[in-house]
Amino acid sequence: MATGATDEELMQAVAGGDGRAVEALCRRYERPLYHFIHRHTGGRDVEDLYQETWLRVVRAARRFDARRRFSTWLFQIAVNLCRDWHRRPPPEPVDPVHAEGIAVRDGAPDAAVDARRLLAALPEPQRSAVILRYWHDLPEDEVAAILGCPRGTVKSRLHQAMKRLVELARR
Amino acid sequence: MTACDDVRTALLSRRVHDAALAAHLAACPRCTDEREALRRIGEALATDVLPAVPAGLAVRVRRAAEPFLERNARRAAWPALARALAAALLPLPAILFVDFHALRAVYAVLSSVLPGGLSLYVVFNHAATLTLLLALAYSAIPILAERQVRLRRRESHG
Repeated sequence: MATGATDEELMQAVAGGDGRAVEALCRRYERPLYHFIHRHTGGRDVEDLYQETWLRVVRAARRFDARRRFSTWLFQIAVNLCRDWHRRPPPEPVDPVHAEGIAVRDGAPDAAVDARRLLAALPEPQRSAVILRYWHDLPEDEVAAILGCPRGTVKSRLHQAMKRLVELARR
Repeated sequence: MTACDDVRTALLSRRVHDAALAAHLAACPRCTDEREALRRIGEALATDVLPAVPAGLAVRVRRAAEPFLERNARRAAWPALARALAAALLPLPAILFVDFHALRAVYAVLSSVLPGGLSLYVVFNHAATLTLLLALAYSAIPILAERQVRLRRRESHG
C-alpha cells in the first residue's frame, strides 16, 4: 500500500493506527520538510521539530480532512511549530545594523550572498513566506493556505521581505 | 506592485531570459536598480547547500509515534465495537421474553408438586444463573469485537 497510495489514503491508514503508513509519508516528505525546518531555524533543533511535526500529524490524523492537500496541512503544522520555536529564544530578527558581513564575502562586490544569514534577518512571517515561495517554489495560493492568511498578505509579506533582502544584499 | 513583483520573482528564480522581463526591466528604473541585488539573492537561494537528511529518521519517527498509533487504532475500533454491541442487543428483548415465560412455566410445574417456597428458591436460582450467563456473554462482546478488529488490522497492514 505504502508506495502507490496517495497521501490521503496513507493518512486514513495512519488514523487507523498503521505505522507503516507513517513511515511511508515520512519518507515521501523527508527532504522538503527537513529542509524547510532547517531553513526556518537556521539549522537548530531541526530533528526535534521534524519529529514533533510528525507526532502532531499522527495525533491529529483522525481530524485530517481528506479533501484538503496533505502537504499544505503538513507544512501548516511545521510553520506553527517553527513559530513557537522562534518565540522561545531571544527575539529575532537580526537587525540589519548588526548583520555585518551578510552581503559580501571576500569584499568583492558581486561575491556570493549567504542565504541563511539573509533569512535570519527577516521577521518570522516574512521568512516563512520567502522559504515557501522561493525555495519550495510553491504558488502564492498554497503559501497563503499554509500560513493561514489571505493571498494579499502573502504578496505584501514577500514584497516587504524583498525590499529588506535587496537592502541587505547591497551592503 | 504586481508587475514589479513578478519581475522580482523571475529574477530570484533566475529566469532571466524572458522577453517580457527584459521589456519590463528596460522600462522600470526601480527594477533595473534592484536587478543586481536580486540576482545575487537568487544565486544565494540556488546555491544554498543543506545538510543531508539523517538516515533512519522515518524509522525513529515511527517508533516515537507508536503510542499515538495505538491510540488511533483503539479509536478506529470504536465504531466496530458499537456495531457489534448493537447487533448483540437486538435479540435481547426476545431472549428475556422467552426466559421469563419459561421460568413462569417451570415455577407453575414445580409449585404443583413442591412447596411454594422451595419452588420459588429453585426458580430464583435458575433465573440468577441465566442472568449471570447473559451478563458474561454480553461483556465478552466488546472484547471479542476489539480482538477481531485488531486481527483484521494486522492482516491488512501486514
